[in-house]
Amino acid sequence: MNKQFRIAQRIGLMFRYDQDLPQDMEAWIQLQLQAPSPALGIANTGAKVIEWPNELQPDLSKRAGMWRRYRALKKQQREGKNGQDTQAARQANRHENLMRDKDEHKFVQRNAYGADQVKLRLTSFWANHFTIGNTGDTGQMIGHAIDEGILAKLNGSFADMLYGITTHPGMLTYLDNVWSAGERSEQAKSCRRKPDCQAGLNDNLGRELLELHTVSVAAGYSEDDIHSAAQVLAGWGIDFGEELSTMRERTGSTNHWNAYKKRWAEPGGKKVMGKTIYAGRGGLRQLTDFLANHNHTINHISTKLCQHFVSDSPTKSQIESVKSVWHQSNGDLHTIHTQVLKLAINAPEAKFLWPMTWLFQVVRLSGATYFKGWENINDYDDKLMRSKKVFEELGQSFWSSRQPNGYSNNKADWMSAEMFERRVRFADAIYKNGRTRRSVNKIMDRIGAAEQTKALVASVGTSPRDQFITLMCSPELMGLEYV
Amino acid sequence: MSKLILGRRNLLKAGAASLFLAGMPIAGLAKGKPLGSISVIILEGGMDGLATIPPIGDPDLMRMRKSISPEGYLPLNDFFGLHPSLKFYAQLMARGHASAVHATAFPYTKRSHFEGQNMIEGGGLSPFSEKTGWLGRALELAGVAGRSLSLDMPLILRGHHENDNFYPASIRGSSRPKANLVNMIAMGHQMDAAQIFTKVAHKSKENVQVPRDPASLAKYAGQAMGQADGPVASIIRVENFDTHANQVEEDDADAGRLARQLSVVDDVIAGYRRGLGKAWDDAIILTLTEFGRTVAVNGTLGTDHGYGSVGLLAGGTLSGSGVIADWPGLSKKDQFEKRDLMATIDYRSVCAACLEKSLGLDHDLIASQIFHQPDLTRVFDHFFA
Repeated sequence: MNKQFRIAQRIGLMFRYDQDLPQDMEAWIQLQLQAPSPALGIANTGAKVIEWPNELQPDLSKRAGMWRRYRALKKQQREGKNGQDTQAARQANRHENLMRDKDEHKFVQRNAYGADQVKLRLTSFWANHFTIGNTGDTGQMIGHAIDEGILAKLNGSFADMLYGITTHPGMLTYLDNVWSAGERSEQAKSCRRKPDCQAGLNDNLGRELLELHTVSVAAGYSEDDIHSAAQVLAGWGIDFGEELSTMRERTGSTNHWNAYKKRWAEPGGKKVMGKTIYAGRGGLRQLTDFLANHNHTINHISTKLCQHFVSDSPTKSQIESVKSVWHQSNGDLHTIHTQVLKLAINAPEAKFLWPMTWLFQVVRLSGATYFKGWENINDYDDKLMRSKKVFEELGQSFWSSRQPNGYSNNKADWMSAEMFERRVRFADAIYKNGRTRRSVNKIMDRIGAAEQTKALVASVGTSPRDQFITLMCSPELMGLEYV
Repeated sequence: MSKLILGRRNLLKAGAASLFLAGMPIAGLAKGKPLGSISVIILEGGMDGLATIPPIGDPDLMRMRKSISPEGYLPLNDFFGLHPSLKFYAQLMARGHASAVHATAFPYTKRSHFEGQNMIEGGGLSPFSEKTGWLGRALELAGVAGRSLSLDMPLILRGHHENDNFYPASIRGSSRPKANLVNMIAMGHQMDAAQIFTKVAHKSKENVQVPRDPASLAKYAGQAMGQADGPVASIIRVENFDTHANQVEEDDADAGRLARQLSVVDDVIAGYRRGLGKAWDDAIILTLTEFGRTVAVNGTLGTDHGYGSVGLLAGGTLSGSGVIADWPGLSKKDQFEKRDLMATIDYRSVCAACLEKSLGLDHDLIASQIFHQPDLTRVFDHFFA
């Protein structure tokens, strides 16, 4: 592959079939890191690429309102009231009030059409690092967390991103924190006097904050540290379906991204990994800042960034170089990303591509229109599947129900016959139904495909469809080998 | 007996390996049907053993976790009950075809899902120490293949090149790939990728339509294992046992998240039973979970990460039914680190017994080569007379 495409494959999503290629790739990377990130897409399959309409990108309070309405209509449906128990009413309720399908579709279109491919790859890395699995209610918030908690914060500090995502209602809901109460909180104390009242600590988020999001088990923290972190977190967040009046009463606000219920908070100071954390809502920022700058966090995440972009087994010196800029820049993500990308484009061996990354690259290289327009998101199409279904079949989606450790950066975890079968079949489906705009030969010329790849494509005969599948499933395009 | 068979198998394996190196076809070698089949249901998230098989005879149970203990349990004896979701499993128990192990765990006490899952699948001495799985290594030793009913190849089954997976696709506008095309693609790849594409080509010759719910996959797996040339092992994963919140419903301790997931497990076992048919007599099925959960209820009608849990076993090879336990007690002083059910039985021993029975491998070999623990206790006689 020529330099432009080799780099774009490694750290981006490939240049689209009709995009001009930059000459100075180092300068291009810097421009990419600062690129604006409008949500680009198409309204329908014949339309021009434009920005997604605002009304399909609601803020958190609108999302919460839609969620409350969805639940209310669902209740009427169960009770057989107001005609809500018909198929049509149920469907209308889902289409009008749920954001999950729209958000995933927006993410997919962004990745297919976006001019900010490097930022989108970094977004996927961090969205995976801060996994929010779909538990129904979180489906309403995941898209917002990715756009506003990750993509919008790519050039800030890691500490800001960590605090933002930790306090995002999606994360607070996914890891049960919205229902947690400090053991000596007012809520827990008053509950103890009543029968059938439950209020107490839930350590789910506290544990994963330490284990997955920051210091990792290598830090050797104790069960008491997890417990204390959970006590610091107690009180943060509120059930997304709660009425606004209740929310105002409990948090003094109707801002879901800053919801702190004092009555549920643990009074007094806490100690997490030796650090004293003060009581009150400021304690959490104190904790996440402490964790963000912890040596074990820097080591853990520097390693993970290298594993994602550079190599399944990065060298010690590669990891050290990222740690070093992390320290020097006080955790400035722009500086850290610059270093990681530098290592990535100079890496001597190939890096296996995630299924979703590969799929976006196939679509962009070929100019296929494989995803519907946002106007048709709920319409049946006998050729194009819904985005939700595509990524479910592919086996990778940020809107799936999954464990908080997210998707593996390790090739070995993606090597299976069924996984590979999906590559063949999606290459086939994209060729057949995606109205590709570039022939296999044109694509190979443009990317400067290796002789070995050209020979492989030639070996399967003259069927354009077979050739397309072969190219996209070649070692070179799957990121299996540098040839 | 098992030692004798192991000798024969090792010989065959050695023969196959040297023939392979000489470039000779290996078809037909090491394909003798082993003694039985082994299926593992991985319960992801950490199953609450104390609610699955509640120790109703322990006075501390109701004191510690009244609000989440099932009320409609089936009494198995004076001491243990069975969760009402496990209906089919209860029938198997009545017929002597199911047993449970209580207060058991892999030797991992740090309560991380991901380290724990790596331990129970890898079967290593510490988290992330193994690149292959204990079942994969066992199948490699026995020279027979297993199949995972999943899109990925789970760690537990890695380690034997013949192992494959099954999870049917449903992609609009694409039909099963052409085998010769995929074979050509395979030739352009190296090593493991080439091997995997070859499997894709092979698979594309079959046309199997199976719904993707765990119970249907179990039935399919049972049928496949019942065929003469079918796999000898299978893996099914059931998710969502991480019941931090709403483990039970507020007004019904027999319903809720755990009850729903246990129903899935029950359906999976029933699916296996139906699919295996006559092969049930030679089958063993066991569950695997990364840890149990706290003895006490947390603040959100759930339980947090713990240590000891339960293993469920089923299959015609069991010599009877029972709950096998060396009961540690539930009082604070009996708990592990004053919060979890203590584990008194090393679950690796249970896995080893199942391997010994199904693959005919010698216990000492399993202990040393598969679990790297030469002094692993042999518990075979508790399950298989």
